[in-house]
Amino acid sequence: MSRHSADTRRRETSVLNQALAAAGPTRSGSRQQWRGTGFGTQVWVLTGRSVRTAFGDFKLVFFGLLQPVVLLLLFSQVFKSVGTLPGVVTYQSYINFLMPATLINVAMTTAMSSGIGLMAEVYTGFVGRLRAMPISMFAVLLARTLSDAIRLTVQLVVIVIAAVAFLGFRPGTVLGLTEALLLTVVVGWGVGWVFVAIVTWQRKAEVVQAISFIVMFPLMFASSAYMPVDSMPTWIRFLARGNPLTYAIDATRALALGRPVGWSIVWALSLVTATALLGGTAAARNFRRAS
Amino acid sequence: MQRPRIEVDSLDKSYGPVNALVNVTLQVGSGTVLGVLGHNGAGKTTLIDVLATRTRPTRGRAAVCGWDVVKSGHQVRKHIGMTGQFVALDDAMSGYANLVLIARLLGASTRQARARADELIDTFGLVEAADRRPVTYSGGMRRRLDLAASLIGRPEVLFLDEPTTGLDPISRSEVWTLVEKLAVDGTTVILTTQDLMEAERLANDIVVLAAGNIVASGTPEQLKAGLGQRTATVTFANPMAMYSAVAVFAGLGMSPVPNEALCSVNGSIPAPGDIATLVRALDAADLEIQNLTVTEPTLNDVYVALHRSGWKPG
Repeated sequence: MSRHSADTRRRETSVLNQALAAAGPTRSGSRQQWRGTGFGTQVWVLTGRSVRTAFGDFKLVFFGLLQPVVLLLLFSQVFKSVGTLPGVVTYQSYINFLMPATLINVAMTTAMSSGIGLMAEVYTGFVGRLRAMPISMFAVLLARTLSDAIRLTVQLVVIVIAAVAFLGFRPGTVLGLTEALLLTVVVGWGVGWVFVAIVTWQRKAEVVQAISFIVMFPLMFASSAYMPVDSMPTWIRFLARGNPLTYAIDATRALALGRPVGWSIVWALSLVTATALLGGTAAARNFRRAS
Repeated sequence: MQRPRIEVDSLDKSYGPVNALVNVTLQVGSGTVLGVLGHNGAGKTTLIDVLATRTRPTRGRAAVCGWDVVKSGHQVRKHIGMTGQFVALDDAMSGYANLVLIARLLGASTRQARARADELIDTFGLVEAADRRPVTYSGGMRRRLDLAASLIGRPEVLFLDEPTTGLDPISRSEVWTLVEKLAVDGTTVILTTQDLMEAERLANDIVVLAAGNIVASGTPEQLKAGLGQRTATVTFANPMAMYSAVAVFAGLGMSPVPNEALCSVNGSIPAPGDIATLVRALDAADLEIQNLTVTEPTLNDVYVALHRSGWKPG
């Protein structure tokens, strides 16, 4: 952002009295008043702000990118023997089976951080200022989830590059991989609304964290993420087949590895859309100006 | 006749069993600074939250710039600025970026937003700190930036909820000067404060809240006059004159209290014109006045009197 040099404009605190006219409100026709802007601009400006914040902090960027790489490294080694199971052996190596699921896992982690990030803003009081401004509260939530989707995209690209370069992941086609990444971003964005809804419902950090983990772990582990569903105990298999993430993981895996997608992508997109609608509606309802 | 910028009629706000506001009625005109006084929990912030559309009233009606706070909240928010008790900034961005962001959200183009941010950064003496994050600012600097953020859209109504809490005397004085200037320019300012000196200096009108009720309202002068505690202290050259003066004070119904050590008489002055009457009476009695001091009651006296009365409406 352009700004005059601080050196050339050094001024003392008492300058306030000399320049008060600038703060004045109404009488001069030349002094423009602004009375709000459209929903699209609100979302655009707030998304830009969140993206700049997310990528403006080196530590946040570094550890945010490192986390999925570490996850992938750990899972690919700890669960290596899973690669010999009947449902996995056709994928040539466990990393090929695991990688698409890790993408969804990263999406889930980022979705959870959407809620945590929103909570931080509520705590700083910045959201309180926005509540007294002529802007839509839904724009605040939408911007939050969109900026996290952008952050997720960057994370996914980094992890794919790392997996191809160091862990021997071999995607089917570039187009299929791109479609898998897009689907993952959509899934992350949709599920993010659930976590945002949780934050707008329960604003105590410890409670939110507890609920978020209760939501996240069963969804990830009772799914086709790390094991073929058929190799699971019966009751977990039943849960996994009803788990929306199973469809998202199956679709991502099929797209990324160039295998037949079937109906899993339709189920995945339908369930994500439903999740986003439900989560978004609940979040918007909870987050509206207090009654 | 110009319509009041703020109209509040029979407003109630309850949080469960707690009545935060009870039958509050008031009007505030353009360019007026309304001081809202009251102890902690009296309902000051709730009143501001209702007027700023951050919370809905339970009953009654309130309008800002002609717009109903419930039915037309979005319109109300177009005309107001707000600085709450706690600084509300994005600590992940620089002070300058905070101002640009808010200007953009209010509808300024990027160029206009930058120009306005530059202007306010200059105005509030934050040039040196503009590129730093607010979290690195001193308390006074953060408060100034918060105020600047509230003024970006040049609001017609500005809510200041205890704006000088925690500020040093210089910063506080600067905020006062700013508020005075804003009022001169036509901004309506609703100022809650615990600082009675601040209210006395800035407020054209005052309401005192207790348990959500307005227990006193009027101009500072009216509130102080209602207390009837204006006093005159007249010093004489010798005790003989002092004792003679006691009779003169008593004759005018001014409840004299002699002070032999200072050779003076202290008496209450019901109305400003009574001072001239007293001086003429002392002169007629051939009593030479060495010194005359008139002491006005302060808002602090008013506040203490209300407290002693159990916060009953006067």
